[in-house]
Amino acid sequence: MLVYAGVLAYAISRQVELAPVVAIVGVFGGMLLLFMLWRRAEDVLAWVLLLLGLGYVLTIVVHPHGVDEAAPLVGAGLLLCAELAVWSCNEHARVRPERRVVVARAVAVAVLVVAGLGVSALVVALAAAPVGGGLGWTLLGALAAVGAIGLTLRLAR
Amino acid sequence: MTHFASPRIVAYAGVAAFALLVGLAVGRVELVALAAPFALAAAVGASLGRDPGVSATLALDRDRALEGEEAVVRVELHAPADVDRVDLLLQVSDELQPTGGNPRSVVVPRERTLELTLPCRRWGAFAVGPLLLRAGDRLGFHRWEGRAGAAQPLRVYPSVETLRSLLEPLETQAFIGNQLSRTKGEGIEFADIRGWLPGDRVRSINWRATARRGELHVNQQHPERNTDVVLFLDTFTDIREGTRGTLDLTVRAAASLAHRYLQRKDRVGIVSFGGYASWLLPSSGTRQLYRIVDSLLQMDIVLSFAVKGIEILPPRTLPPKALVLALTPLLDRRSAGALLDLRARGFDLVVIEVSPLPFVASGGDARARLAYRLWQLSREALRLRYVQAGVPVVEWRDGEALDAVLEEVTAFRRYAKPARA
Repeated sequence: MLVYAGVLAYAISRQVELAPVVAIVGVFGGMLLLFMLWRRAEDVLAWVLLLLGLGYVLTIVVHPHGVDEAAPLVGAGLLLCAELAVWSCNEHARVRPERRVVVARAVAVAVLVVAGLGVSALVVALAAAPVGGGLGWTLLGALAAVGAIGLTLRLAR
Repeated sequence: MTHFASPRIVAYAGVAAFALLVGLAVGRVELVALAAPFALAAAVGASLGRDPGVSATLALDRDRALEGEEAVVRVELHAPADVDRVDLLLQVSDELQPTGGNPRSVVVPRERTLELTLPCRRWGAFAVGPLLLRAGDRLGFHRWEGRAGAAQPLRVYPSVETLRSLLEPLETQAFIGNQLSRTKGEGIEFADIRGWLPGDRVRSINWRATARRGELHVNQQHPERNTDVVLFLDTFTDIREGTRGTLDLTVRAAASLAHRYLQRKDRVGIVSFGGYASWLLPSSGTRQLYRIVDSLLQMDIVLSFAVKGIEILPPRTLPPKALVLALTPLLDRRSAGALLDLRARGFDLVVIEVSPLPFVASGGDARARLAYRLWQLSREALRLRYVQAGVPVVEWRDGEALDAVLEEVTAFRRYAKPARA
Protein backbone atom coordinates (compact mmCIF):
# COMPACT_ATOMS: atom_id res chain seq x y z
CA MET A 1 0.00 0.00 0.00
CA LEU A 2 2.91 2.32 0.79
CA VAL A 3 4.46 1.74 -2.64
CA TYR A 4 1.06 2.31 -4.26
CA ALA A 5 0.61 5.53 -2.30
CA GLY A 6 4.11 6.65 -3.30
CA VAL A 7 3.49 6.13 -7.02
CA LEU A 8 0.07 7.81 -6.75
CA ALA A 9 1.56 10.77 -4.89
CA TYR A 10 4.16 11.20 -7.62
CA ALA A 11 1.49 11.05 -10.35
CA ILE A 12 -0.63 13.66 -8.52
CA SER A 13 2.33 15.97 -7.97
CA ARG A 14 3.26 15.99 -11.69
CA GLN A 15 0.22 17.98 -12.84
CA VAL A 16 -1.53 20.08 -10.19
CA GLU A 17 -4.49 20.92 -12.46
CA LEU A 18 -5.10 17.21 -13.08
CA ALA A 19 -4.61 16.27 -9.43
CA PRO A 20 -8.34 15.73 -8.61
CA VAL A 21 -8.87 13.40 -11.57
CA VAL A 22 -5.68 11.43 -10.91
CA ALA A 23 -6.53 11.26 -7.21
CA ILE A 24 -10.02 9.89 -7.89
CA VAL A 25 -8.67 7.25 -10.29
CA GLY A 26 -5.89 6.41 -7.86
CA VAL A 27 -8.18 6.15 -4.85
CA PHE A 28 -10.47 3.85 -6.79
CA GLY A 29 -7.46 1.70 -7.69
CA GLY A 30 -6.39 1.75 -4.03
CA MET A 31 -9.81 0.49 -2.99
CA LEU A 32 -9.47 -2.29 -5.54
CA LEU A 33 -6.05 -3.11 -4.10
CA LEU A 34 -7.55 -3.30 -0.60
CA PHE A 35 -10.28 -5.55 -1.93
CA MET A 36 -7.67 -7.74 -3.56
CA LEU A 37 -5.69 -8.06 -0.33
CA TRP A 38 -8.83 -8.70 1.71
CA ARG A 39 -10.32 -11.36 -0.59
CA ARG A 40 -6.97 -12.70 -1.83
CA ALA A 41 -8.32 -12.05 -5.33
CA GLU A 42 -5.24 -12.08 -7.50
CA ASP A 43 -7.42 -11.64 -10.60
CA VAL A 44 -8.09 -8.01 -9.67
CA LEU A 45 -4.39 -7.14 -9.92
CA ALA A 46 -4.54 -6.17 -13.61
CA TRP A 47 -7.24 -3.56 -12.89
CA VAL A 48 -5.26 -2.11 -9.99
CA LEU A 49 -2.22 -1.68 -12.24
CA LEU A 50 -4.25 -0.28 -15.10
CA LEU A 51 -5.99 2.29 -12.89
CA LEU A 52 -2.78 3.50 -11.25
CA GLY A 53 -1.03 3.45 -14.63
CA LEU A 54 -3.93 5.40 -16.14
CA GLY A 55 -3.55 8.13 -13.52
CA TYR A 56 0.13 8.49 -14.42
CA VAL A 57 -0.48 8.30 -18.19
CA LEU A 58 -3.06 11.09 -17.96
CA THR A 59 -0.40 13.44 -16.57
CA ILE A 60 1.92 12.54 -19.45
CA VAL A 61 -0.53 12.69 -22.31
CA VAL A 62 -2.66 15.72 -21.37
CA HIS A 63 0.15 18.23 -20.76
CA PRO A 64 3.38 16.82 -22.17
CA HIS A 65 6.59 18.49 -20.89
CA GLY A 66 9.27 16.41 -22.54
CA VAL A 67 10.34 12.92 -21.43
CA ASP A 68 9.65 12.10 -17.77
CA GLU A 69 12.93 10.68 -16.56
CA ALA A 70 11.25 9.14 -13.53
CA ALA A 71 9.12 6.82 -15.72
CA PRO A 72 11.42 3.80 -15.04
CA LEU A 73 10.97 4.38 -11.31
CA VAL A 74 7.19 4.52 -11.77
CA GLY A 75 7.25 1.27 -13.78
CA ALA A 76 9.46 -0.45 -11.22
CA GLY A 77 7.28 0.93 -8.41
CA LEU A 78 4.17 -0.48 -10.04
CA LEU A 79 5.85 -3.86 -10.42
CA LEU A 80 7.04 -3.82 -6.81
CA CYS A 81 3.54 -2.91 -5.65
CA ALA A 82 2.08 -5.80 -7.68
CA GLU A 83 4.65 -8.32 -6.46
CA LEU A 84 4.23 -7.36 -2.80
CA ALA A 85 0.43 -7.47 -3.11
CA VAL A 86 0.55 -10.94 -4.67
CA TRP A 87 3.00 -12.10 -1.99
CA SER A 88 0.55 -10.92 0.65
CA CYS A 89 -2.25 -12.85 -1.08
CA ASN A 90 -0.15 -16.01 -1.27
CA GLU A 91 0.78 -16.08 2.41
CA HIS A 92 -1.66 -17.44 4.95
CA ALA A 93 -1.43 -16.87 8.68
CA ARG A 94 -1.62 -20.61 9.33
CA VAL A 95 1.30 -21.49 7.04
CA ARG A 96 4.61 -21.08 8.78
CA PRO A 97 7.30 -20.50 6.17
CA GLU A 98 10.93 -21.18 6.89
CA ARG A 99 13.19 -18.16 7.04
CA ARG A 100 15.00 -19.34 3.90
CA VAL A 101 11.72 -19.36 1.94
CA VAL A 102 10.96 -15.77 2.92
CA VAL A 103 14.50 -14.57 2.21
CA ALA A 104 14.56 -16.34 -1.18
CA ARG A 105 11.33 -14.68 -2.28
CA ALA A 106 12.39 -11.26 -1.01
CA VAL A 107 15.65 -11.54 -2.95
CA ALA A 108 13.82 -12.76 -6.07
CA VAL A 109 11.36 -9.86 -5.92
CA ALA A 110 14.18 -7.38 -5.41
CA VAL A 111 16.16 -8.81 -8.35
CA LEU A 112 13.08 -8.76 -10.59
CA VAL A 113 12.25 -5.15 -9.71
CA VAL A 114 15.85 -3.99 -10.14
CA ALA A 115 16.09 -5.81 -13.48
CA GLY A 116 12.79 -4.20 -14.53
CA LEU A 117 14.12 -0.82 -13.49
CA GLY A 118 17.27 -1.46 -15.53
CA VAL A 119 15.35 -2.46 -18.65
CA SER A 120 13.03 0.49 -18.26
CA ALA A 121 15.94 2.89 -17.77
CA LEU A 122 17.59 1.44 -20.84
CA VAL A 123 14.43 2.16 -22.86
CA VAL A 124 14.41 5.79 -21.70
CA ALA A 125 18.13 6.12 -22.35
CA LEU A 126 17.76 4.71 -25.85
CA ALA A 127 14.90 7.14 -26.52
CA ALA A 128 17.10 10.02 -25.42
CA ALA A 129 20.08 8.80 -27.47
CA PRO A 130 20.62 10.59 -30.82
CA VAL A 131 20.14 7.50 -32.93
CA GLY A 132 17.41 9.08 -34.98
CA GLY A 133 13.78 8.16 -35.23
CA GLY A 134 11.88 6.85 -38.12
CA LEU A 135 10.12 3.83 -39.41
CA GLY A 136 12.59 1.32 -37.99
CA TRP A 137 11.95 2.26 -34.37
CA THR A 138 8.22 2.44 -34.95
CA LEU A 139 8.31 -1.04 -36.47
CA LEU A 140 10.37 -2.33 -33.54
CA GLY A 141 7.80 -0.88 -31.13
CA ALA A 142 4.94 -2.37 -33.09
CA LEU A 143 6.67 -5.76 -33.13
CA ALA A 144 7.21 -5.57 -29.36
CA ALA A 145 3.53 -4.73 -28.87
CA VAL A 146 2.44 -7.57 -31.13
CA GLY A 147 4.81 -9.94 -29.27
CA ALA A 148 3.43 -8.87 -25.90
CA ILE A 149 -0.16 -9.30 -27.10
CA GLY A 150 0.71 -12.70 -28.57
CA LEU A 151 2.31 -13.76 -25.28
CA THR A 152 -0.76 -12.54 -23.38
CA LEU A 153 -3.12 -14.51 -25.61
CA ARG A 154 -0.96 -17.64 -25.35
CA LEU A 155 -0.80 -17.45 -21.58
CA ALA A 156 -4.49 -16.68 -21.28
CA ARG A 157 -5.44 -19.81 -23.23
CA MET B 1 0.74 -33.20 -9.78
CA THR B 2 -1.77 -30.60 -10.93
CA HIS B 3 -0.33 -27.40 -12.36
CA PHE B 4 -1.72 -23.95 -11.60
CA ALA B 5 -0.34 -20.74 -13.12
CA SER B 6 -0.69 -17.43 -11.36
CA PRO B 7 -3.13 -15.07 -13.12
CA ARG B 8 -0.60 -12.29 -12.73
CA ILE B 9 1.50 -13.58 -15.64
CA VAL B 10 -1.44 -12.79 -17.92
CA ALA B 11 -1.99 -9.52 -16.04
CA TYR B 12 1.63 -8.46 -16.51
CA ALA B 13 1.64 -9.40 -20.20
CA GLY B 14 -1.67 -7.61 -20.69
CA VAL B 15 -0.49 -4.45 -18.92
CA ALA B 16 2.73 -4.50 -20.97
CA ALA B 17 0.87 -4.96 -24.26
CA PHE B 18 -1.64 -2.25 -23.41
CA ALA B 19 1.08 0.22 -22.41
CA LEU B 20 3.09 -0.53 -25.56
CA LEU B 21 0.07 -0.03 -27.80
CA VAL B 22 -0.92 3.23 -26.13
CA GLY B 23 2.73 4.33 -26.20
CA LEU B 24 2.90 3.69 -29.92
CA ALA B 25 -0.41 5.43 -30.48
CA VAL B 26 0.47 8.59 -28.57
CA GLY B 27 4.19 8.44 -29.29
CA ARG B 28 5.36 8.60 -25.66
CA VAL B 29 8.42 6.70 -24.51
CA GLU B 30 7.28 6.81 -20.85
CA LEU B 31 4.61 4.26 -21.66
CA VAL B 32 7.19 1.92 -23.15
CA ALA B 33 9.27 2.44 -20.01
CA LEU B 34 6.20 1.53 -17.95
CA ALA B 35 5.63 -1.59 -20.05
CA ALA B 36 9.23 -2.83 -19.92
CA PRO B 37 9.31 -4.15 -16.28
CA PHE B 38 5.99 -5.94 -16.78
CA ALA B 39 7.09 -7.47 -20.07
CA LEU B 40 10.24 -8.71 -18.33
CA ALA B 41 8.25 -10.13 -15.40
CA ALA B 42 5.81 -11.87 -17.78
CA ALA B 43 8.70 -13.39 -19.70
CA VAL B 44 10.35 -14.56 -16.47
CA GLY B 45 7.03 -15.99 -15.26
CA ALA B 46 6.44 -17.85 -18.53
CA SER B 47 9.94 -19.32 -18.44
CA LEU B 48 9.61 -20.75 -14.92
CA GLY B 49 6.84 -23.23 -15.72
CA ARG B 50 8.77 -26.49 -15.16
CA ASP B 51 7.37 -29.27 -12.98
CA PRO B 52 9.71 -29.58 -9.99
CA GLY B 53 8.78 -33.27 -9.65
CA VAL B 54 8.61 -33.29 -5.86
CA SER B 55 7.74 -36.63 -4.29
CA ALA B 56 7.39 -37.60 -0.64
CA THR B 57 7.13 -40.63 1.60
CA LEU B 58 5.58 -40.82 5.07
CA ALA B 59 6.67 -43.08 7.89
CA LEU B 60 5.12 -43.18 11.34
CA ASP B 61 7.41 -44.37 14.12
CA ARG B 62 4.64 -46.28 15.91
CA ASP B 63 1.06 -47.36 15.41
CA ARG B 64 0.03 -47.27 19.08
CA ALA B 65 0.55 -44.63 21.73
CA LEU B 66 -0.80 -43.65 25.08
CA GLU B 67 -2.58 -40.38 25.71
CA GLY B 68 0.07 -37.75 26.46
CA GLU B 69 2.82 -39.49 24.50
CA GLU B 70 4.25 -38.27 21.20
CA ALA B 71 4.43 -39.95 17.81
CA VAL B 72 6.88 -38.86 15.15
CA VAL B 73 6.15 -38.76 11.42
CA ARG B 74 9.16 -38.88 9.17
CA VAL B 75 8.59 -37.05 5.89
CA GLU B 76 11.17 -37.69 3.18
CA LEU B 77 11.04 -35.23 0.30
CA HIS B 78 12.78 -35.82 -3.01
CA ALA B 79 13.14 -33.60 -6.05
CA PRO B 80 15.38 -33.81 -9.15
CA ALA B 81 16.53 -30.22 -8.56
CA ASP B 82 16.35 -27.67 -5.75
CA VAL B 83 12.80 -26.46 -5.11
CA ASP B 84 12.47 -22.98 -3.67
CA ARG B 85 9.22 -23.51 -1.88
CA VAL B 86 7.20 -26.55 -0.89
CA ASP B 87 4.09 -26.15 1.27
CA LEU B 88 3.26 -29.26 3.29
CA LEU B 89 -0.05 -30.06 4.93
CA LEU B 90 -0.24 -33.30 6.87
CA GLN B 91 -3.85 -34.42 6.93
CA VAL B 92 -4.43 -35.34 10.52
CA SER B 93 -7.11 -34.96 13.14
CA ASP B 94 -7.20 -31.83 15.33
CA GLU B 95 -6.17 -33.92 18.34
CA LEU B 96 -2.89 -34.81 16.64
CA GLN B 97 -1.87 -31.49 15.07
CA PRO B 98 1.94 -31.46 14.86
CA THR B 99 4.00 -29.09 16.95
CA GLY B 100 5.73 -26.39 14.95
CA GLY B 101 2.78 -25.72 12.70
CA ASN B 102 0.76 -27.47 10.06
CA PRO B 103 0.87 -26.50 7.18
CA ARG B 104 4.44 -25.27 6.80
CA SER B 105 6.63 -24.03 3.95
CA VAL B 106 10.09 -25.44 3.40
CA VAL B 107 12.92 -25.33 0.92
CA VAL B 108 13.76 -28.72 -0.60
CA PRO B 109 17.36 -29.04 -1.74
CA ARG B 110 16.92 -32.27 -3.80
CA GLU B 111 16.45 -34.41 -0.69
CA ARG B 112 15.21 -33.40 2.68
CA THR B 113 13.88 -35.23 5.73
CA LEU B 114 11.49 -33.62 8.16
CA GLU B 115 10.38 -35.04 11.47
CA LEU B 116 6.96 -33.88 12.60
CA THR B 117 6.07 -34.49 16.22
CA LEU B 118 2.45 -35.37 16.87
CA PRO B 119 1.43 -34.92 20.50
CA CYS B 120 -1.32 -37.45 21.29
CA ARG B 121 -3.68 -35.09 23.07
CA ARG B 122 -6.72 -37.36 23.09
CA TRP B 123 -7.51 -41.06 22.85
CA GLY B 124 -8.97 -42.41 19.64
CA ALA B 125 -8.25 -44.24 16.42
CA PHE B 126 -6.75 -41.83 13.92
CA ALA B 127 -5.38 -41.80 10.40
CA VAL B 128 -2.13 -39.91 9.82
CA GLY B 129 -1.74 -38.74 6.23
CA PRO B 130 -1.74 -38.42 3.33
CA LEU B 131 0.51 -35.43 2.84
CA LEU B 132 -0.73 -32.58 0.66
CA LEU B 133 2.10 -30.95 -1.28
CA ARG B 134 2.28 -27.65 -3.07
CA ALA B 135 5.52 -26.88 -4.83
CA GLY B 136 6.17 -23.54 -6.42
CA ASP B 137 8.84 -21.39 -7.97
CA ARG B 138 10.55 -18.65 -6.02
CA LEU B 139 8.28 -15.87 -7.25
CA GLY B 140 5.06 -17.85 -7.02
CA PHE B 141 4.26 -17.70 -10.74
CA HIS B 142 3.52 -21.43 -10.92
CA ARG B 143 2.50 -24.06 -8.43
CA TRP B 144 2.03 -27.80 -8.58
CA GLU B 145 -0.31 -29.50 -6.15
CA GLY B 146 -0.62 -33.15 -5.29
CA ARG B 147 -0.73 -35.67 -2.47
CA ALA B 148 1.84 -38.16 -1.34
CA GLY B 149 2.07 -41.02 1.12
CA ALA B 150 -0.71 -43.29 2.27
CA ALA B 151 -2.75 -42.71 5.43
CA GLN B 152 -1.31 -44.64 8.35
CA PRO B 153 -3.31 -45.73 11.38
CA LEU B 154 -2.43 -44.51 14.85
CA ARG B 155 -4.28 -45.74 17.90
CA VAL B 156 -4.05 -43.56 20.96
CA TYR B 157 -5.08 -45.42 24.06
CA PRO B 158 -6.61 -43.58 27.01
CA SER B 159 -4.35 -43.15 30.02
CA VAL B 160 -5.25 -45.45 32.90
CA GLU B 161 -5.72 -44.29 36.48
CA THR B 162 -4.13 -46.25 39.28
CA LEU B 163 -6.88 -47.81 41.39
CA ARG B 164 -5.92 -49.19 44.77
CA SER B 165 -9.30 -50.68 45.59
CA LEU B 166 -12.24 -51.85 43.57
CA LEU B 167 -15.93 -52.14 44.24
CA GLU B 168 -16.93 -55.51 45.59
CA PRO B 169 -20.06 -56.97 44.01
CA LEU B 170 -22.92 -58.14 46.18
CA GLU B 171 -22.81 -61.59 44.62
CA THR B 172 -20.10 -63.61 42.94
CA GLN B 173 -20.22 -66.06 40.07
CA ALA B 174 -19.52 -69.79 40.07
CA PHE B 175 -16.00 -69.68 38.60
CA ILE B 176 -12.72 -69.48 40.47
CA GLY B 177 -11.35 -65.99 40.88
CA ASN B 178 -9.78 -63.60 43.36
CA GLN B 179 -12.97 -62.26 44.90
CA LEU B 180 -13.91 -63.61 48.31
CA SER B 181 -17.47 -64.88 48.10
CA ARG B 182 -19.99 -64.12 50.83
CA THR B 183 -21.20 -67.70 50.63
CA LYS B 184 -19.54 -70.54 52.53
CA GLY B 185 -17.79 -73.43 50.86
CA GLU B 186 -14.31 -74.63 49.92
CA GLY B 187 -11.72 -71.93 50.09
CA ILE B 188 -8.85 -70.45 52.07
CA GLU B 189 -10.42 -67.65 54.06
CA PHE B 190 -11.96 -68.84 57.34
CA ALA B 191 -15.71 -68.18 57.60
CA ASP B 192 -17.35 -70.13 60.44
CA ILE B 193 -17.55 -73.35 62.51
CA ARG B 194 -20.46 -75.75 62.34
CA GLY B 195 -21.30 -79.24 63.50
CA TRP B 196 -19.96 -82.18 61.54
CA LEU B 197 -22.25 -83.66 58.89
CA PRO B 198 -21.83 -86.90 56.99
CA GLY B 199 -19.67 -86.27 53.93
CA ASP B 200 -17.49 -83.59 55.54
CA ARG B 201 -13.76 -84.10 55.02
CA VAL B 202 -11.61 -85.14 57.94
CA ARG B 203 -9.10 -82.41 57.14
CA SER B 204 -11.80 -79.76 57.73
CA ILE B 205 -12.43 -80.88 61.32
CA ASN B 206 -11.59 -78.17 63.84
CA TRP B 207 -9.99 -80.32 66.54
CA ARG B 208 -9.78 -77.58 69.11
CA ALA B 209 -13.53 -76.79 68.90
CA THR B 210 -14.31 -80.51 68.81
CA ALA B 211 -12.30 -81.12 72.02
CA ARG B 212 -13.96 -78.18 73.75
CA ARG B 213 -17.56 -79.10 72.84
CA GLY B 214 -17.25 -82.85 72.92
CA GLU B 215 -18.60 -83.43 69.41
CA LEU B 216 -17.16 -83.05 65.92
CA HIS B 217 -17.03 -79.53 64.46
CA VAL B 218 -15.73 -78.52 61.08
CA ASN B 219 -14.34 -75.26 59.67
CA GLN B 220 -16.09 -73.46 56.88
CA GLN B 221 -14.38 -71.14 54.40
CA HIS B 222 -15.33 -68.43 51.97
CA PRO B 223 -14.63 -69.66 48.46
CA GLU B 224 -12.67 -67.43 46.01
CA ARG B 225 -14.85 -66.72 43.07
CA ASN B 226 -14.85 -64.41 40.14
CA THR B 227 -17.35 -61.68 39.38
CA ASP B 228 -19.02 -60.41 36.28
CA VAL B 229 -18.64 -56.68 35.81
CA VAL B 230 -20.53 -54.80 33.12
CA LEU B 231 -19.35 -51.28 32.33
CA PHE B 232 -22.41 -49.41 31.16
CA LEU B 233 -21.33 -46.27 29.27
CA ASP B 234 -23.85 -43.56 28.52
CA THR B 235 -22.87 -42.22 25.11
CA PHE B 236 -25.97 -40.22 24.31
CA THR B 237 -24.35 -36.87 25.03
CA ASP B 238 -20.93 -35.35 25.55
CA ILE B 239 -20.33 -32.01 27.19
CA ARG B 240 -17.00 -30.61 26.08
CA GLU B 241 -14.81 -27.64 26.81
CA GLY B 242 -11.66 -27.45 24.75
CA THR B 243 -9.93 -30.79 24.64
CA ARG B 244 -11.74 -32.23 27.68
CA GLY B 245 -15.25 -33.54 28.03
CA THR B 246 -17.48 -36.02 29.80
CA LEU B 247 -16.92 -38.70 27.14
CA ASP B 248 -13.15 -38.50 27.67
CA LEU B 249 -13.60 -39.00 31.41
CA THR B 250 -16.02 -41.87 30.79
CA VAL B 251 -13.61 -43.66 28.48
CA ARG B 252 -10.69 -43.10 30.83
CA ALA B 253 -12.63 -44.47 33.79
CA ALA B 254 -13.88 -47.45 31.78
CA ALA B 255 -10.34 -48.31 30.65
CA SER B 256 -9.03 -48.05 34.22
CA LEU B 257 -11.82 -50.18 35.68
CA ALA B 258 -11.61 -52.82 32.95
CA HIS B 259 -7.86 -53.05 33.39
CA ARG B 260 -8.09 -53.59 37.16
CA TYR B 261 -11.04 -55.99 37.13
CA LEU B 262 -9.42 -58.12 34.44
CA GLN B 263 -6.21 -58.18 36.46
CA ARG B 264 -8.30 -59.72 39.24
CA LYS B 265 -9.44 -62.51 36.88
CA ASP B 266 -13.00 -61.18 36.74
CA ARG B 267 -15.07 -61.22 33.60
CA VAL B 268 -15.67 -57.75 32.19
CA GLY B 269 -18.18 -56.73 29.55
CA ILE B 270 -18.99 -53.37 28.13
CA VAL B 271 -22.20 -51.77 26.94
CA SER B 272 -22.16 -48.49 25.09
CA PHE B 273 -25.69 -47.17 25.37
CA GLY B 274 -26.27 -44.18 23.15
CA GLY B 275 -27.40 -43.14 19.71
CA TYR B 276 -25.46 -46.14 18.47
CA ALA B 277 -25.60 -49.07 20.91
CA SER B 278 -22.70 -51.51 20.99
CA TRP B 279 -21.60 -54.17 23.44
CA LEU B 280 -18.96 -56.75 24.28
CA LEU B 281 -19.96 -59.92 26.10
CA PRO B 282 -18.26 -60.40 29.48
CA SER B 283 -15.05 -62.34 29.27
CA SER B 284 -11.71 -62.44 31.03
CA GLY B 285 -8.07 -62.31 30.08
CA THR B 286 -5.67 -60.02 28.29
CA ARG B 287 -7.40 -60.49 24.96
CA GLN B 288 -10.61 -59.11 26.46
CA LEU B 289 -8.68 -56.07 27.69
CA TYR B 290 -7.49 -55.39 24.14
CA ARG B 291 -11.02 -55.88 22.83
CA ILE B 292 -12.40 -53.45 25.38
CA VAL B 293 -9.77 -50.81 24.74
CA ASP B 294 -10.25 -51.13 20.99
CA SER B 295 -14.00 -50.76 21.37
CA LEU B 296 -13.46 -47.74 23.63
CA LEU B 297 -11.44 -46.08 20.87
CA GLN B 298 -14.47 -46.31 18.59
CA MET B 299 -16.74 -44.59 21.13
CA ASP B 300 -18.40 -41.55 19.74
CA ILE B 301 -21.52 -39.54 20.21
CA VAL B 302 -24.15 -40.32 17.60
CA LEU B 303 -27.16 -38.06 17.66
CA SER B 304 -30.37 -40.05 17.81
CA PHE B 305 -33.93 -39.34 18.82
CA ALA B 306 -34.93 -43.01 18.91
CA VAL B 307 -36.48 -44.13 22.18
CA LYS B 308 -34.28 -46.89 23.51
CA GLY B 309 -34.44 -49.15 26.53
CA ILE B 310 -32.33 -52.01 27.79
CA GLU B 311 -34.53 -54.45 25.89
CA ILE B 312 -32.42 -53.68 22.79
CA LEU B 313 -29.42 -55.33 24.47
CA PRO B 314 -28.91 -59.08 24.08
CA PRO B 315 -29.57 -60.87 27.41
CA ARG B 316 -26.04 -62.31 27.52
CA THR B 317 -24.52 -58.83 27.78
CA LEU B 318 -26.05 -58.49 31.24
CA PRO B 319 -25.49 -61.81 33.03
CA PRO B 320 -27.35 -62.46 36.30
CA LYS B 321 -25.61 -61.32 39.51
CA ALA B 322 -23.36 -59.01 37.47
CA LEU B 323 -22.09 -55.80 38.99
CA VAL B 324 -23.19 -53.03 36.63
CA LEU B 325 -21.02 -49.92 36.82
CA ALA B 326 -22.77 -47.14 34.97
CA LEU B 327 -20.68 -44.16 33.83
CA THR B 328 -23.07 -41.44 32.87
CA PRO B 329 -23.31 -37.64 32.86
CA LEU B 330 -27.02 -38.03 33.75
CA LEU B 331 -28.07 -35.82 30.88
CA ASP B 332 -30.28 -38.05 28.79
CA ARG B 333 -33.61 -39.36 29.98
CA ARG B 334 -33.25 -42.56 27.98
CA SER B 335 -30.10 -43.68 29.78
CA ALA B 336 -31.51 -42.54 33.14
CA GLY B 337 -34.64 -44.65 32.50
CA ALA B 338 -32.61 -47.64 31.33
CA LEU B 339 -30.56 -47.58 34.53
CA LEU B 340 -33.66 -47.51 36.73
CA ASP B 341 -34.99 -50.39 34.63
CA LEU B 342 -31.80 -52.35 35.30
CA ARG B 343 -32.17 -51.75 39.01
CA ALA B 344 -35.81 -52.86 38.88
CA ARG B 345 -34.62 -56.10 37.28
CA GLY B 346 -32.44 -56.78 40.31
CA PHE B 347 -29.00 -55.91 38.96
CA ASP B 348 -26.35 -54.76 41.38
CA LEU B 349 -26.08 -51.25 39.98
CA VAL B 350 -23.66 -48.44 40.82
CA VAL B 351 -23.97 -45.08 39.10
CA ILE B 352 -20.79 -43.05 38.70
CA GLU B 353 -21.95 -39.65 37.58
CA VAL B 354 -19.37 -38.10 35.27
CA SER B 355 -20.17 -34.55 36.21
CA PRO B 356 -20.75 -32.14 33.32
CA LEU B 357 -20.69 -29.15 35.71
CA PRO B 358 -16.99 -28.28 35.20
CA PHE B 359 -17.70 -27.95 31.48
CA VAL B 360 -20.87 -25.84 31.77
CA ALA B 361 -20.65 -22.25 32.94
CA SER B 362 -23.65 -20.41 34.31
CA GLY B 363 -24.87 -17.55 32.13
CA GLY B 364 -24.32 -13.92 33.05
CA ASP B 365 -27.84 -12.62 33.44
CA ALA B 366 -30.40 -13.50 36.11
CA ARG B 367 -32.53 -15.64 33.79
CA ALA B 368 -29.54 -17.77 32.78
CA ARG B 369 -28.49 -18.19 36.40
CA LEU B 370 -32.02 -19.26 37.28
CA ALA B 371 -32.02 -21.80 34.43
CA TYR B 372 -28.68 -23.13 35.66
CA ARG B 373 -30.03 -23.56 39.18
CA LEU B 374 -33.16 -25.30 37.89
CA TRP B 375 -31.02 -27.63 35.84
CA GLN B 376 -28.94 -28.48 38.89
CA LEU B 377 -32.11 -29.09 40.92
CA SER B 378 -33.49 -31.44 38.28
CA ARG B 379 -30.21 -33.38 38.38
CA GLU B 380 -30.47 -33.53 42.17
CA ALA B 381 -34.01 -34.92 41.85
CA LEU B 382 -32.81 -37.62 39.45
CA ARG B 383 -30.03 -38.58 41.85
CA LEU B 384 -32.61 -38.88 44.63
CA ARG B 385 -34.64 -41.29 42.51
CA TYR B 386 -31.64 -43.58 42.22
CA VAL B 387 -30.89 -43.39 45.92
CA GLN B 388 -34.51 -44.25 46.70
CA ALA B 389 -34.12 -47.33 44.52
CA GLY B 390 -31.06 -48.33 46.55
CA VAL B 391 -28.56 -47.36 43.88
CA PRO B 392 -25.43 -45.58 45.03
CA VAL B 393 -24.81 -42.44 42.97
CA VAL B 394 -21.45 -40.74 43.24
CA GLU B 395 -20.30 -37.65 41.43
CA TRP B 396 -16.94 -37.73 39.68
CA ARG B 397 -15.49 -34.43 38.52
CA ASP B 398 -12.63 -33.76 36.17
CA GLY B 399 -9.39 -33.72 38.15
CA GLU B 400 -10.64 -35.88 41.02
CA ALA B 401 -9.21 -39.32 41.68
CA LEU B 402 -11.49 -42.18 40.68
CA ASP B 403 -10.28 -44.07 43.74
CA ALA B 404 -11.97 -41.57 46.06
CA VAL B 405 -15.23 -41.96 44.17
CA LEU B 406 -15.14 -45.74 44.47
CA GLU B 407 -14.43 -45.39 48.17
CA GLU B 408 -17.57 -43.29 48.47
CA VAL B 409 -19.62 -46.11 46.93
CA THR B 410 -18.13 -48.60 49.36
CA ALA B 411 -19.10 -46.32 52.24
CA PHE B 412 -22.63 -46.02 50.86
CA ARG B 413 -22.91 -49.79 50.65
CA ARG B 414 -21.89 -50.19 54.27
CA TYR B 415 -25.08 -48.44 55.34
CA ALA B 416 -27.51 -49.10 52.53
CA LYS B 417 -28.25 -52.39 50.83
CA PRO B 418 -30.48 -52.82 47.81
CA ALA B 419 -33.86 -54.16 48.84
CA ARG B 420 -34.91 -57.51 47.47
CA ALA B 421 -38.18 -57.53 45.64
